[in-house]
Amino acid sequence: MIDVQNLTKTYVGKTAVDGLSFKVEPGEVVGFLGPNGAGKSTTMRILTGFLSPTSGTARVNGFDVFHQSIDARRSLGYMPENAPLYMDMRVKEYLQFRGAIKGLSGSLLRKRVGEVMDACALTEVRRKIINNLSKGFRQRVALADALVGKPPLLILDEPTNGLDPNQIRHVRELLLAFKGRQTILLSTHILSQVEQTCDRVLLLHQGKLRADDTPQNLVRKLRAASDLHLEVSGGTGFEEHLAKVTGVRKITAEKQEGNWSHFTLRIEARTDIREAIFDLALKNRWQIRELRRELPTLEDVFVELTHV
Amino acid sequence: MRTFLILLTRELRSFFYSPVAYVVIALVMIINGFSFRAAVAILERGPQQGSLVSWTFHSQWFWLSYFFIFPLLTMRLFAEERKLGTFETLFTAPVRTWQVVWSKYLASVVLYCLIWVPSLANFFIFESMTAGATEIPHGSLYGIYLLIFVMGLFNLAAGCFASALTSNQIVAAVLSFTISLMHYLLGVFVLYLGRRIPEQFVELVHYIATVEHIRVFTYGLLDSRPIAYYLSLAFVFIIGTHQVLEFRRWRV
Repeated sequence: MIDVQNLTKTYVGKTAVDGLSFKVEPGEVVGFLGPNGAGKSTTMRILTGFLSPTSGTARVNGFDVFHQSIDARRSLGYMPENAPLYMDMRVKEYLQFRGAIKGLSGSLLRKRVGEVMDACALTEVRRKIINNLSKGFRQRVALADALVGKPPLLILDEPTNGLDPNQIRHVRELLLAFKGRQTILLSTHILSQVEQTCDRVLLLHQGKLRADDTPQNLVRKLRAASDLHLEVSGGTGFEEHLAKVTGVRKITAEKQEGNWSHFTLRIEARTDIREAIFDLALKNRWQIRELRRELPTLEDVFVELTHV
Repeated sequence: MRTFLILLTRELRSFFYSPVAYVVIALVMIINGFSFRAAVAILERGPQQGSLVSWTFHSQWFWLSYFFIFPLLTMRLFAEERKLGTFETLFTAPVRTWQVVWSKYLASVVLYCLIWVPSLANFFIFESMTAGATEIPHGSLYGIYLLIFVMGLFNLAAGCFASALTSNQIVAAVLSFTISLMHYLLGVFVLYLGRRIPEQFVELVHYIATVEHIRVFTYGLLDSRPIAYYLSLAFVFIIGTHQVLEFRRWRV
């Protein structure tokens, strides 16, 4: 659905996107991650034909985004950052206008506008002027606009930016409902959302692709160390004993609760020392009340790969 | 073509969503009332050279309305889209740049024509009220309105260009006003310099002098040169606007 080859975009004195290549297959939901200024929005603007690439090519639905821009634009629905809308129009009127310039007309236009207003829960505000709507509603109007032409591809730039937790959940449920039927490329900073909705993650940093994998694989392959929480009692000198276990990098003594000592062990990546700890406790006749491994999250991956 | 008409309709509606259209129409109506009354007052003093038409369009009142129309009509067109960010939604929909440029330009032209309709009515109402006692030369009346139309085409195109350059409507208005005023002053300054400059130069300036064009047309003469001049200037500014909007897609 999307085929990007060696895409580069240079502004005066600054490279925003640097030799980016990736593919998105039909039906995939792909999360576009990266710190602010990593080149996500620039890439999306090139894909939607708003900007031209300095070099390299990008195809959407088989159409070159620069040379066959109109055909490429017909195959996608785009929701820019901050959901820009015409503030002086009414919701239904705006969606009808957008549907019409995307090539719909007559009864089909009316049907599609009704459908997207239903899907985005906009029916009750359809007569309101957009300027008077709350941020959450505006975001949904922009999403409805992206959907109205029934494009095979959706490109959403931070669709949940500035929404409250309920609205974020609503958008997430909408996206999950499209899953499998619709190809989606979305950028976001909410990593939990990516873990729940995306089949694949593209991580961008300083214009370059740093990672391209499923969220699960990314976390699994992470080089970052993980933490182990341990609460023991019935002995002394826990720290000396624990330090001898191979794979322990650092031991931090947490609060003491009566007889119970709480430790946080930083352990080497891709090692599991829980059995070794159990054996150690058995040998020294310690009691264990908690032994919990904290798995690294996508957030840790993000920080690790984009940390300057 | 269908896309173009949809865009044009939206632009026209958008003029009437805000008070701009109503305010401009009302103001121009009032000011034209003054200039018409001024012309009648001159004719009341006794026999004069020139007609009701030529006196109306030579009054200062006319120039007052002339200069503020263009910035008011065009400053919003592109600057607002830039400011709101709707540029991005607009140009990522399957629309071509020329469709956007011409729809916005044409919308301002349509509104501009609407603005002048009430002033045209002044003449006909006056004619019927005086039961034909006043002579209104219809040739010069239609001539001057044709000239106002083509002068509008040029000034509105310049306004579009100014609006496309910036995201600030005030800046767009100031730019548009400056272009219109400089063009006007270029034609006026020879009048003040008198004959101290070479004859050829005066000829050249007469070719672009708006005041001179108005003088010619209010006397009922149809001169094709100013028409060609304004139309080509309008075209140059529209091409300029198109290039400004396409700039972000240039591959350098």
